[in-house]
Amino acid sequence: MKKDILAVFGIVLILAVLINGTHIQSVDEYYLTHIDDITPESETVTLSIRCDAVLQHYDELDPALRSEEFVPPDGVILPPTKYVLREGDTVFQILDRAVRSNRIQMEFQGAEENPFGSVYIQGIHYLYEFSCGPLSGWMYRVDGEFPHYGCSRYKLHDGQNIEWIYTCDLGQDAGALWMGGEE
Amino acid sequence: MKTVVTSGKSGAFSAVHPAAAMVYFLAVLLISMFCFHPVLQVEMLVGAALFCITLQKRGEALREIGFYLPLFLMVAVTNPLFSHNGVTPLFFLNGNPVTLEALLYGVSLAVSVIGVLLWCKCCGRVMTEDKFLYLFGKLIPKLSLILSMALRFVPVYLRQSRRVIRARKAMGLFSGKGITDRVKNRMRVFVAMISWSLEHAMETSASMRARGYGQKGRTNFSLFRFSPADGVLLCGCVFLLAVVWIGRAAGFAAFSYYPRTGGIGAAPADLAVYAAFGLLSLLPFLLEVKEVIVWSCCVSKI
Repeated sequence: MKKDILAVFGIVLILAVLINGTHIQSVDEYYLTHIDDITPESETVTLSIRCDAVLQHYDELDPALRSEEFVPPDGVILPPTKYVLREGDTVFQILDRAVRSNRIQMEFQGAEENPFGSVYIQGIHYLYEFSCGPLSGWMYRVDGEFPHYGCSRYKLHDGQNIEWIYTCDLGQDAGALWMGGEE
Repeated sequence: MKTVVTSGKSGAFSAVHPAAAMVYFLAVLLISMFCFHPVLQVEMLVGAALFCITLQKRGEALREIGFYLPLFLMVAVTNPLFSHNGVTPLFFLNGNPVTLEALLYGVSLAVSVIGVLLWCKCCGRVMTEDKFLYLFGKLIPKLSLILSMALRFVPVYLRQSRRVIRARKAMGLFSGKGITDRVKNRMRVFVAMISWSLEHAMETSASMRARGYGQKGRTNFSLFRFSPADGVLLCGCVFLLAVVWIGRAAGFAAFSYYPRTGGIGAAPADLAVYAAFGLLSLLPFLLEVKEVIVWSCCVSKI
Protein backbone atom coordinates (compact mmCIF):
# COMPACT_ATOMS: atom_id res chain seq x y z
CA MET A 1 0.00 0.00 0.00
CA LYS A 2 2.79 2.39 0.99
CA LYS A 3 4.60 1.73 -2.27
CA ASP A 4 1.41 2.45 -4.21
CA ILE A 5 0.98 5.81 -2.55
CA LEU A 6 4.59 6.61 -3.35
CA ALA A 7 4.08 5.63 -6.99
CA VAL A 8 0.95 7.80 -7.28
CA PHE A 9 2.83 10.66 -5.69
CA GLY A 10 5.64 10.27 -8.22
CA ILE A 11 3.22 10.30 -11.15
CA VAL A 12 1.46 13.40 -9.81
CA LEU A 13 4.83 15.11 -9.42
CA ILE A 14 5.80 14.37 -13.04
CA LEU A 15 2.42 15.63 -14.26
CA ALA A 16 2.78 18.80 -12.19
CA VAL A 17 6.21 19.49 -13.70
CA LEU A 18 4.82 18.87 -17.20
CA ILE A 19 1.84 21.16 -16.69
CA ASN A 20 4.03 23.79 -15.12
CA GLY A 21 6.29 23.70 -18.18
CA THR A 22 3.52 24.26 -20.72
CA HIS A 23 2.33 27.69 -21.56
CA ILE A 24 -0.85 28.02 -23.58
CA GLN A 25 -1.76 31.19 -25.45
CA SER A 26 -4.72 31.96 -27.64
CA VAL A 27 -4.04 33.02 -31.23
CA ASP A 28 -4.69 36.72 -30.65
CA GLU A 29 -2.64 36.72 -27.46
CA TYR A 30 0.32 35.26 -29.33
CA TYR A 31 0.27 37.75 -32.17
CA LEU A 32 -0.25 40.68 -29.84
CA THR A 33 3.39 41.73 -29.54
CA HIS A 34 4.53 45.13 -28.62
CA ILE A 35 6.65 46.79 -31.29
CA ASP A 36 8.52 49.80 -29.97
CA ASP A 37 7.91 53.08 -31.79
CA ILE A 38 10.92 54.43 -33.59
CA THR A 39 12.18 57.65 -31.99
CA PRO A 40 15.19 59.72 -33.14
CA GLU A 41 17.39 58.33 -30.39
CA SER A 42 16.36 54.65 -30.64
CA GLU A 43 18.73 52.12 -32.17
CA THR A 44 17.25 50.28 -35.13
CA VAL A 45 18.03 47.39 -37.45
CA THR A 46 16.52 46.53 -40.83
CA LEU A 47 14.97 43.14 -41.47
CA SER A 48 13.76 41.57 -44.72
CA ILE A 49 12.58 38.08 -45.65
CA ARG A 50 12.83 36.92 -49.26
CA CYS A 51 12.38 33.70 -51.21
CA ASP A 52 13.53 34.61 -54.75
CA ALA A 53 15.35 31.29 -55.21
CA VAL A 54 12.04 29.43 -55.10
CA LEU A 55 10.85 31.29 -58.18
CA GLN A 56 13.86 30.03 -60.14
CA HIS A 57 13.38 26.45 -58.92
CA TYR A 58 9.60 26.37 -59.15
CA ASP A 59 9.58 22.85 -60.65
CA GLU A 60 11.26 21.47 -57.51
CA LEU A 61 8.76 23.10 -55.15
CA ASP A 62 6.35 20.95 -53.17
CA PRO A 63 3.12 20.90 -55.26
CA ALA A 64 1.03 21.84 -52.21
CA LEU A 65 2.89 25.17 -52.03
CA ARG A 66 2.57 26.16 -55.67
CA SER A 67 0.29 29.16 -55.27
CA GLU A 68 0.73 32.88 -54.91
CA GLU A 69 -0.62 32.62 -51.40
CA PHE A 70 2.46 30.76 -50.21
CA VAL A 71 5.09 32.01 -52.65
CA PRO A 72 4.66 35.71 -53.45
CA PRO A 73 5.26 36.41 -57.17
CA ASP A 74 7.98 38.97 -56.39
CA GLY A 75 9.64 36.73 -53.77
CA VAL A 76 9.20 39.25 -50.96
CA ILE A 77 7.68 37.87 -47.77
CA LEU A 78 8.67 40.87 -45.66
CA PRO A 79 10.03 44.03 -47.34
CA PRO A 80 12.98 45.77 -45.61
CA THR A 81 11.49 47.15 -42.40
CA LYS A 82 13.08 48.98 -39.50
CA TYR A 83 12.71 47.54 -36.02
CA VAL A 84 13.82 49.02 -32.74
CA LEU A 85 16.77 47.20 -31.23
CA ARG A 86 16.34 46.31 -27.60
CA GLU A 87 19.22 45.70 -25.24
CA GLY A 88 20.98 42.39 -26.08
CA ASP A 89 18.74 41.51 -29.02
CA THR A 90 19.84 38.63 -31.25
CA VAL A 91 18.84 38.01 -34.87
CA PHE A 92 16.34 35.44 -33.68
CA GLN A 93 14.60 37.81 -31.28
CA ILE A 94 14.18 40.47 -33.97
CA LEU A 95 12.85 37.86 -36.41
CA ASP A 96 10.46 36.49 -33.79
CA ARG A 97 9.08 39.96 -33.05
CA ALA A 98 8.80 40.82 -36.72
CA VAL A 99 6.92 37.67 -37.76
CA ARG A 100 4.57 37.97 -34.82
CA SER A 101 3.66 41.56 -35.53
CA ASN A 102 3.18 40.76 -39.23
CA ARG A 103 1.33 37.48 -38.52
CA ILE A 104 3.77 35.46 -40.58
CA GLN A 105 3.89 31.76 -39.73
CA MET A 106 7.26 30.51 -38.44
CA GLU A 107 8.50 27.24 -36.98
CA PHE A 108 11.84 26.82 -35.26
CA GLN A 109 13.83 24.28 -33.33
CA GLY A 110 14.69 25.56 -29.88
CA ALA A 111 18.31 26.17 -28.85
CA GLU A 112 18.13 23.42 -26.22
CA GLU A 113 17.13 20.79 -28.81
CA ASN A 114 19.72 21.83 -31.35
CA PRO A 115 23.16 20.17 -31.40
CA PHE A 116 24.78 23.56 -32.11
CA GLY A 117 23.10 25.21 -29.14
CA SER A 118 21.32 27.76 -31.27
CA VAL A 119 17.82 28.23 -32.59
CA TYR A 120 17.31 26.70 -36.02
CA ILE A 121 14.65 28.19 -38.29
CA GLN A 122 12.78 25.30 -39.90
CA GLY A 123 10.21 27.25 -41.86
CA ILE A 124 8.88 30.74 -42.47
CA HIS A 125 5.58 31.48 -44.20
CA TYR A 126 4.91 27.72 -44.76
CA LEU A 127 8.16 27.41 -46.71
CA TYR A 128 10.12 24.76 -44.85
CA GLU A 129 13.54 23.24 -45.12
CA PHE A 130 13.48 20.71 -47.99
CA SER A 131 10.26 22.22 -49.40
CA CYS A 132 12.08 23.09 -52.61
CA GLY A 133 14.55 20.27 -53.25
CA PRO A 134 16.88 18.42 -50.87
CA LEU A 135 19.31 21.35 -50.46
CA SER A 136 16.76 24.01 -49.55
CA GLY A 137 16.25 25.92 -46.33
CA TRP A 138 16.46 29.28 -44.60
CA MET A 139 19.71 31.26 -44.19
CA TYR A 140 20.43 34.68 -42.80
CA ARG A 141 22.82 37.40 -43.82
CA VAL A 142 23.90 40.40 -41.79
CA ASP A 143 25.34 43.35 -43.72
CA GLY A 144 25.98 41.11 -46.73
CA GLU A 145 27.83 38.37 -44.85
CA PHE A 146 26.66 34.92 -43.84
CA PRO A 147 27.63 34.31 -40.18
CA HIS A 148 29.03 30.89 -39.35
CA TYR A 149 26.75 30.36 -36.38
CA GLY A 150 23.11 30.23 -35.38
CA CYS A 151 20.74 33.17 -35.37
CA SER A 152 20.12 33.16 -31.60
CA ARG A 153 23.86 33.67 -30.99
CA TYR A 154 24.29 36.70 -33.20
CA LYS A 155 24.08 39.87 -31.10
CA LEU A 156 23.00 42.87 -33.15
CA HIS A 157 24.25 46.45 -33.23
CA ASP A 158 22.66 49.68 -34.31
CA GLY A 159 22.04 50.08 -38.03
CA GLN A 160 22.71 46.51 -39.11
CA ASN A 161 20.85 45.01 -42.04
CA ILE A 162 19.46 41.48 -41.63
CA GLU A 163 18.22 39.48 -44.59
CA TRP A 164 16.52 36.09 -44.30
CA ILE A 165 16.95 34.27 -47.60
CA TYR A 166 15.51 31.02 -48.80
CA THR A 167 18.06 28.92 -50.65
CA CYS A 168 17.54 25.94 -52.91
CA ASP A 169 21.18 24.80 -53.14
CA LEU A 170 22.86 25.18 -49.75
CA GLY A 171 23.33 28.91 -50.10
CA GLN A 172 25.10 29.16 -53.45
CA ASP A 173 22.18 30.92 -55.11
CA ALA A 174 22.14 33.40 -52.23
CA GLY A 175 25.86 34.04 -52.54
CA ALA A 176 27.16 32.09 -49.55
CA LEU A 177 30.36 30.54 -50.82
CA TRP A 178 31.64 28.83 -47.68
CA MET A 179 29.31 25.84 -48.06
CA GLY A 180 31.36 24.50 -50.98
CA GLY A 181 30.47 27.14 -53.55
CA GLU A 182 32.87 28.14 -56.27
CA GLU A 183 34.30 31.54 -57.19
CA MET B 1 -11.13 -23.32 -53.03
CA LYS B 2 -11.12 -26.46 -50.87
CA THR B 3 -8.27 -27.14 -48.53
CA VAL B 4 -7.35 -30.10 -46.42
CA VAL B 5 -6.60 -28.29 -43.19
CA THR B 6 -7.39 -24.86 -41.90
CA SER B 7 -6.62 -24.04 -38.31
CA GLY B 8 -8.24 -21.56 -35.96
CA LYS B 9 -11.58 -19.89 -36.57
CA SER B 10 -11.75 -19.91 -40.31
CA GLY B 11 -13.62 -17.47 -42.46
CA ALA B 12 -14.21 -17.82 -46.16
CA PHE B 13 -10.91 -16.13 -46.86
CA SER B 14 -8.97 -18.78 -44.93
CA ALA B 15 -9.91 -21.27 -47.62
CA VAL B 16 -8.17 -19.25 -50.32
CA HIS B 17 -4.89 -20.63 -51.64
CA PRO B 18 -1.91 -19.21 -49.66
CA ALA B 19 -0.30 -17.68 -52.74
CA ALA B 20 -3.44 -15.70 -53.62
CA ALA B 21 -3.97 -14.67 -49.98
CA MET B 22 -0.35 -13.56 -49.66
CA VAL B 23 -0.57 -11.43 -52.81
CA TYR B 24 -3.82 -9.97 -51.55
CA PHE B 25 -2.38 -8.97 -48.17
CA LEU B 26 0.74 -7.53 -49.73
CA ALA B 27 -1.37 -5.44 -52.12
CA VAL B 28 -3.59 -4.06 -49.35
CA LEU B 29 -0.71 -3.38 -46.97
CA LEU B 30 1.32 -1.68 -49.68
CA ILE B 31 -1.47 0.79 -50.40
CA SER B 32 -2.44 1.20 -46.74
CA MET B 33 1.06 2.11 -45.70
CA PHE B 34 1.78 4.66 -48.39
CA CYS B 35 -1.55 6.38 -49.06
CA PHE B 36 -2.75 9.15 -46.80
CA HIS B 37 -5.79 10.08 -48.83
CA PRO B 38 -8.82 10.32 -46.51
CA VAL B 39 -11.16 8.36 -48.78
CA LEU B 40 -8.67 5.52 -49.28
CA GLN B 41 -7.93 5.50 -45.56
CA VAL B 42 -11.58 5.23 -44.57
CA GLU B 43 -12.02 2.38 -47.05
CA MET B 44 -8.92 0.70 -45.66
CA LEU B 45 -10.09 0.99 -42.05
CA VAL B 46 -13.64 -0.16 -42.76
CA GLY B 47 -12.36 -3.12 -44.79
CA ALA B 48 -9.94 -4.11 -42.01
CA ALA B 49 -12.56 -3.76 -39.28
CA LEU B 50 -15.16 -5.82 -41.14
CA PHE B 51 -12.57 -8.48 -41.97
CA CYS B 52 -11.47 -8.61 -38.32
CA ILE B 53 -15.05 -9.03 -37.14
CA THR B 54 -15.57 -12.02 -39.43
CA LEU B 55 -12.42 -13.65 -38.05
CA GLN B 56 -13.16 -13.08 -34.37
CA LYS B 57 -15.72 -13.82 -31.74
CA ARG B 58 -17.94 -10.88 -30.86
CA GLY B 59 -16.66 -10.22 -27.34
CA GLU B 60 -13.07 -10.20 -28.56
CA ALA B 61 -13.69 -7.42 -31.06
CA LEU B 62 -15.40 -5.26 -28.43
CA ARG B 63 -12.58 -5.75 -25.96
CA GLU B 64 -10.05 -4.63 -28.52
CA ILE B 65 -11.70 -1.25 -28.96
CA GLY B 66 -10.37 -0.56 -25.46
CA PHE B 67 -6.87 -0.92 -26.88
CA TYR B 68 -7.27 0.80 -30.23
CA LEU B 69 -9.16 3.87 -29.04
CA PRO B 70 -6.44 5.11 -26.64
CA LEU B 71 -3.81 4.33 -29.30
CA PHE B 72 -5.80 6.36 -31.82
CA LEU B 73 -6.06 9.35 -29.48
CA MET B 74 -2.39 9.16 -28.54
CA VAL B 75 -1.13 9.16 -32.13
CA ALA B 76 -3.62 11.84 -33.21
CA VAL B 77 -2.71 14.22 -30.38
CA THR B 78 1.05 13.65 -30.56
CA ASN B 79 1.49 14.93 -34.12
CA PRO B 80 0.31 18.54 -33.55
CA LEU B 81 2.65 18.78 -30.56
CA PHE B 82 5.66 18.23 -32.81
CA SER B 83 4.53 19.56 -36.17
CA HIS B 84 3.58 23.22 -36.36
CA ASN B 85 2.94 23.66 -40.06
CA GLY B 86 -0.51 24.69 -41.24
CA VAL B 87 -2.52 27.83 -41.92
CA THR B 88 -5.10 27.51 -39.11
CA PRO B 89 -3.55 27.91 -35.66
CA LEU B 90 -5.91 26.79 -32.90
CA PHE B 91 -3.77 27.99 -29.99
CA PHE B 92 -0.12 28.45 -29.14
CA LEU B 93 1.80 26.04 -26.94
CA ASN B 94 5.11 27.33 -25.56
CA GLY B 95 5.33 29.78 -28.44
CA ASN B 96 4.59 27.21 -31.13
CA PRO B 97 1.29 26.99 -33.00
CA VAL B 98 -0.92 23.93 -32.62
CA THR B 99 -2.69 23.86 -35.96
CA LEU B 100 -5.81 22.25 -37.33
CA GLU B 101 -3.85 20.82 -40.27
CA ALA B 102 -1.36 19.08 -37.99
CA LEU B 103 -4.25 17.65 -35.99
CA LEU B 104 -5.90 16.33 -39.16
CA TYR B 105 -2.62 14.82 -40.27
CA GLY B 106 -2.31 13.21 -36.83
CA VAL B 107 -5.78 11.70 -37.21
CA SER B 108 -4.78 10.42 -40.61
CA LEU B 109 -1.59 8.90 -39.20
CA ALA B 110 -3.59 7.26 -36.41
CA VAL B 111 -6.05 5.76 -38.90
CA SER B 112 -3.13 4.50 -40.92
CA VAL B 113 -1.39 2.92 -37.92
CA ILE B 114 -4.54 1.23 -36.63
CA GLY B 115 -5.61 0.10 -40.10
CA VAL B 116 -2.24 -1.49 -40.78
CA LEU B 117 -2.29 -3.15 -37.34
CA LEU B 118 -5.74 -4.58 -38.06
CA TRP B 119 -4.69 -5.82 -41.50
CA CYS B 120 -1.58 -7.46 -40.04
CA LYS B 121 -3.77 -9.11 -37.44
CA CYS B 122 -6.07 -10.49 -40.12
CA CYS B 123 -3.03 -11.59 -42.08
CA GLY B 124 -1.74 -13.43 -39.00
CA ARG B 125 -5.08 -15.19 -38.56
CA VAL B 126 -5.37 -16.23 -42.20
CA MET B 127 -1.74 -16.94 -43.04
CA THR B 128 -1.07 -19.59 -40.43
CA GLU B 129 2.42 -21.06 -40.00
CA ASP B 130 1.69 -24.10 -42.13
CA LYS B 131 0.58 -21.88 -45.02
CA PHE B 132 3.65 -19.75 -44.65
CA LEU B 133 5.98 -22.74 -44.66
CA TYR B 134 4.05 -24.22 -47.59
CA LEU B 135 4.66 -21.06 -49.62
CA PHE B 136 8.28 -20.35 -48.78
CA GLY B 137 9.61 -23.55 -47.16
CA LYS B 138 11.13 -24.81 -50.40
CA LEU B 139 12.23 -21.46 -51.73
CA ILE B 140 13.91 -19.88 -48.71
CA PRO B 141 13.83 -22.45 -45.90
CA LYS B 142 15.86 -20.56 -43.32
CA LEU B 143 14.18 -17.20 -43.73
CA SER B 144 10.69 -18.64 -43.84
CA LEU B 145 11.30 -20.58 -40.62
CA ILE B 146 12.57 -17.44 -38.93
CA LEU B 147 9.60 -15.44 -40.21
CA SER B 148 7.06 -18.02 -39.18
CA MET B 149 8.65 -18.17 -35.73
CA ALA B 150 8.65 -14.39 -35.47
CA LEU B 151 5.01 -14.19 -36.52
CA ARG B 152 3.86 -16.69 -33.91
CA PHE B 153 6.20 -15.29 -31.27
CA VAL B 154 3.68 -13.06 -29.49
CA PRO B 155 0.88 -15.61 -29.04
CA VAL B 156 3.34 -18.32 -27.96
CA TYR B 157 5.00 -15.84 -25.60
CA LEU B 158 1.68 -14.86 -24.01
CA ARG B 159 0.70 -18.49 -23.53
CA GLN B 160 4.02 -19.37 -21.89
CA SER B 161 4.02 -16.31 -19.64
CA ARG B 162 0.57 -17.24 -18.42
CA ARG B 163 1.97 -20.67 -17.58
CA VAL B 164 4.88 -19.16 -15.66
CA ILE B 165 2.55 -16.89 -13.70
CA ARG B 166 0.33 -19.81 -12.80
CA ALA B 167 3.34 -21.83 -11.66
CA ARG B 168 4.59 -18.96 -9.53
CA LYS B 169 1.15 -18.54 -7.99
CA ALA B 170 1.02 -22.23 -7.15
CA MET B 171 4.39 -21.91 -5.41
CA GLY B 172 3.10 -18.97 -3.40
CA LEU B 173 5.51 -16.48 -4.94
CA PHE B 174 2.84 -14.14 -6.20
CA SER B 175 1.84 -11.61 -3.58
CA GLY B 176 -0.52 -9.41 -5.54
CA LYS B 177 -1.15 -6.79 -2.88
CA GLY B 178 -0.26 -3.48 -4.45
CA ILE B 179 0.32 -2.28 -7.98
CA THR B 180 4.07 -1.91 -7.47
CA ASP B 181 4.33 -5.47 -6.19
CA ARG B 182 2.40 -6.74 -9.17
CA VAL B 183 4.63 -4.79 -11.56
CA LYS B 184 7.71 -6.24 -9.84
CA ASN B 185 6.34 -9.74 -10.20
CA ARG B 186 5.62 -9.17 -13.87
CA MET B 187 9.18 -7.99 -14.34
CA ARG B 188 10.49 -11.25 -12.84
CA VAL B 189 8.28 -13.23 -15.19
CA PHE B 190 9.50 -11.10 -18.08
CA VAL B 191 13.15 -11.82 -17.28
CA ALA B 192 12.39 -15.54 -17.10
CA MET B 193 10.57 -15.29 -20.42
CA ILE B 194 13.53 -13.76 -22.23
CA SER B 195 15.80 -16.70 -21.48
CA TRP B 196 12.97 -19.11 -22.23
CA SER B 197 12.25 -17.56 -25.62
CA LEU B 198 15.90 -17.69 -26.68
CA GLU B 199 16.12 -21.32 -25.65
CA HIS B 200 12.82 -22.11 -27.33
CA ALA B 201 13.99 -20.65 -30.64
CA MET B 202 17.12 -22.81 -30.59
CA GLU B 203 15.11 -25.90 -29.73
CA THR B 204 12.66 -25.24 -32.53
CA SER B 205 15.36 -24.94 -35.14
CA ALA B 206 17.12 -28.05 -33.85
CA SER B 207 13.91 -30.05 -33.95
CA MET B 208 13.09 -28.81 -37.45
CA ARG B 209 16.53 -29.93 -38.60
CA ALA B 210 16.01 -33.32 -36.99
CA ARG B 211 12.86 -33.69 -39.05
CA GLY B 212 14.72 -32.97 -42.25
CA TYR B 213 13.20 -29.55 -42.85
CA GLY B 214 14.39 -27.79 -45.97
CA GLN B 215 15.68 -30.96 -47.62
CA LYS B 216 14.70 -32.28 -51.00
CA GLY B 217 11.65 -34.45 -51.39
CA ARG B 218 10.05 -33.37 -48.13
CA THR B 219 6.29 -32.92 -48.24
CA ASN B 220 4.22 -30.33 -46.43
CA PHE B 221 1.94 -30.76 -43.47
CA SER B 222 -0.95 -29.09 -45.29
CA LEU B 223 -1.59 -29.35 -48.99
CA PHE B 224 -3.35 -26.66 -50.96
CA ARG B 225 -4.74 -26.89 -54.46
CA PHE B 226 -4.68 -23.83 -56.67
CA SER B 227 -8.23 -23.74 -58.03
CA PRO B 228 -9.53 -21.55 -60.89
CA ALA B 229 -11.32 -19.40 -58.31
CA ASP B 230 -7.96 -18.69 -56.66
CA GLY B 231 -6.58 -17.69 -60.04
CA VAL B 232 -9.46 -15.26 -60.55
CA LEU B 233 -8.86 -13.78 -57.09
CA LEU B 234 -5.13 -13.44 -57.71
CA CYS B 235 -5.61 -11.70 -61.07
CA GLY B 236 -8.29 -9.45 -59.57
CA CYS B 237 -5.95 -8.38 -56.77
CA VAL B 238 -3.12 -7.59 -59.15
CA PHE B 239 -5.47 -5.68 -61.45
CA LEU B 240 -6.95 -3.56 -58.63
CA LEU B 241 -3.50 -2.88 -57.22
CA ALA B 242 -2.35 -1.78 -60.67
CA VAL B 243 -5.35 0.55 -61.06
CA VAL B 244 -4.68 2.23 -57.70
CA TRP B 245 -0.93 2.40 -58.23
CA ILE B 246 -1.05 3.77 -61.78
CA GLY B 247 -3.81 6.21 -60.83
CA ARG B 248 -1.74 7.55 -57.95
CA ALA B 249 1.42 7.70 -60.02
CA ALA B 250 -0.51 9.76 -62.59
CA GLY B 251 -1.39 12.23 -59.84
CA PHE B 252 -4.98 11.22 -59.17
CA ALA B 253 -6.41 10.67 -55.70
CA ALA B 254 -3.68 12.92 -54.35
CA PHE B 255 -4.13 14.79 -51.11
CA SER B 256 -1.93 17.13 -49.12
CA TYR B 257 -2.34 18.22 -45.50
CA TYR B 258 0.24 21.01 -45.33
CA PRO B 259 0.07 23.95 -45.36
CA ARG B 260 -3.63 23.82 -46.16
CA THR B 261 -5.65 20.63 -46.52
CA GLY B 262 -6.44 20.07 -50.17
CA GLY B 263 -9.78 19.13 -51.63
CA ILE B 264 -10.90 15.58 -52.21
CA GLY B 265 -10.79 15.00 -55.94
CA ALA B 266 -14.01 13.85 -57.61
CA ALA B 267 -12.88 13.48 -61.22
CA PRO B 268 -13.74 10.17 -62.94
CA ALA B 269 -10.14 8.96 -62.56
CA ASP B 270 -10.18 9.76 -58.82
CA LEU B 271 -13.46 7.89 -58.43
CA ALA B 272 -11.98 4.92 -60.29
CA VAL B 273 -9.09 4.76 -57.82
CA TYR B 274 -11.47 5.00 -54.84
CA ALA B 275 -13.69 2.28 -56.28
CA ALA B 276 -10.75 -0.02 -57.06
CA PHE B 277 -9.34 0.24 -53.56
CA GLY B 278 -12.77 0.02 -51.95
CA LEU B 279 -13.40 -3.25 -53.77
CA LEU B 280 -9.94 -4.53 -52.85
CA SER B 281 -10.28 -3.79 -49.14
CA LEU B 282 -13.86 -5.08 -48.88
CA LEU B 283 -13.06 -8.28 -50.80
CA PRO B 284 -12.66 -10.63 -47.80
CA PHE B 285 -15.85 -9.34 -46.22
CA LEU B 286 -17.76 -9.75 -49.49
CA LEU B 287 -16.43 -13.31 -49.81
CA GLU B 288 -17.63 -14.00 -46.27
CA VAL B 289 -21.07 -12.55 -47.01
CA LYS B 290 -21.31 -14.64 -50.16
CA GLU B 291 -20.39 -17.75 -48.16
CA VAL B 292 -23.08 -17.02 -45.56
CA ILE B 293 -25.72 -16.50 -48.26
CA VAL B 294 -24.73 -19.72 -50.02
CA TRP B 295 -24.81 -21.58 -46.71
CA SER B 296 -28.22 -20.28 -45.72
CA CYS B 297 -29.56 -21.26 -49.16
CA CYS B 298 -28.18 -24.78 -48.70
CA VAL B 299 -29.69 -25.03 -45.22
CA SER B 300 -33.10 -23.96 -46.39
CA LYS B 301 -33.04 -26.59 -49.11
CA ILE B 302 -32.38 -29.30 -46.56
